[in-house]
Amino acid sequence: MADQKMIRLKIRRQDGPDKAARWEEFEVPYRAKMNIISCLMDIQKNPVNAQGERTSPVVWECNCLEEVCGACTMNINGQSRQACSALVDQLEQPIVLEPLTKFPLVRDLMVDRQIMFDNLKKVRAWIPIDGTYNLGPGPRMAEVKRQWAYELSKCMTCGCCMEACPQVNSRSKFIGPAAISQVRLFNTHPTGEMNKHERLEALLDDGGITDCGNAQNCVRACPKGIPLTTGIADLNRETNKYALDRWLRK
Amino acid sequence: MSTRQSPYHFLIRRVHSLLGLLPIGVFLAFHMVLNLSARAGAETYNKVIETMRNFPGIFVIELIVIFIPIAFHAIYGSWVVYTGQSNVLRYRYARNWFYIIQRISGIYTVIFVVTHVYLLRFGEATFAALQHFVSNPAGLIFYALGVVLAIFHFANGLWAFAITWGLTIGPRSQQIWSYVCGGIFIVLSVVGLSDLTAFLK
Repeated sequence: MADQKMIRLKIRRQDGPDKAARWEEFEVPYRAKMNIISCLMDIQKNPVNAQGERTSPVVWECNCLEEVCGACTMNINGQSRQACSALVDQLEQPIVLEPLTKFPLVRDLMVDRQIMFDNLKKVRAWIPIDGTYNLGPGPRMAEVKRQWAYELSKCMTCGCCMEACPQVNSRSKFIGPAAISQVRLFNTHPTGEMNKHERLEALLDDGGITDCGNAQNCVRACPKGIPLTTGIADLNRETNKYALDRWLRK
Repeated sequence: MSTRQSPYHFLIRRVHSLLGLLPIGVFLAFHMVLNLSARAGAETYNKVIETMRNFPGIFVIELIVIFIPIAFHAIYGSWVVYTGQSNVLRYRYARNWFYIIQRISGIYTVIFVVTHVYLLRFGEATFAALQHFVSNPAGLIFYALGVVLAIFHFANGLWAFAITWGLTIGPRSQQIWSYVCGGIFIVLSVVGLSDLTAFLK
């Protein structure tokens, strides 16, 4: 037990939205192939900090544990990413864990990303298929189109792009790159395309596509490699065409 | 879910983008090139200024082509700067640096242009007046920075313009266009700074 390797963690903790933030350090016994989630689970089992004091277990969120749900997104050594795919062997110690800064804090590493869902509703990121009778099968989607659209569908609303975007902050209404990219996904779908105008319309609003500042951090921050900046440029073209056409038809 | 939209947001943002090139960017390039006449000496320069000032309807042209577009671009641009929050210390990418430099250069250009217009358009616009101003090292730095940052703001703005108008969509076209804009920045900066050296005697 004497030569047991330890992992050092420095965690930014906060008991609630209105409570003061503090740093707390932990040491967790090393095991091969550990990720940040397993470190946090160890702290949960034995909530004692590096000074040997008993403390409250660190609160975090996780679900899929395979980087497809986005729930465990947090800032790890200053970089927003998923805790499940952040492997201890690849991280510099002490590993610094902080909650995402662009969302209301719930507790410790847990934030409320409701705004991302609200933004998806704003841009109508779904395909309306309900009818009073069976509408039958929709139009076929070309295979080449399906292949690149699939890349856009990998978005898990994790919030990394929002965290990296200088235009997403408390002074701005910008809906962020994720929701804009979803407009591109649903406007590409042959059935979704039928309601294309509704989504483009939503992008014209305050906080919509024009609030992008072209810092292009989003595309680098995205863990799924979604071409977010290409999507924004493409929808710039589409919204320009749409807005001009709408105006000329008035 | 359909709440009331702000009807002019998109239009205002697009007008703001368009004005940066037409007429402001074109005017900037024209202004830099025209001022090369200062290199031919005080007499030629003063004659060019005199001709411009006596141009029929110059006041109306200046108001519509220069003053109103710049005022709108500057005021709305300041609001855009306010709504941003730089994170360049955490995300040290070149484009993120350009994002913040674009905003700093914009604010600096507003201060510079106000001073510049106050001194030379409403004041005495002669070769000697500017010569006197840049004879002071602080005045020279203020001017040289004003010229370079205004040109940077234009060149980098032109890069973003191509995205805003949906011209450069993929990363490769954006990259190539950034080289073109870089070239424009260098050429115009050389022209602008050589305008300025004419007054250093």
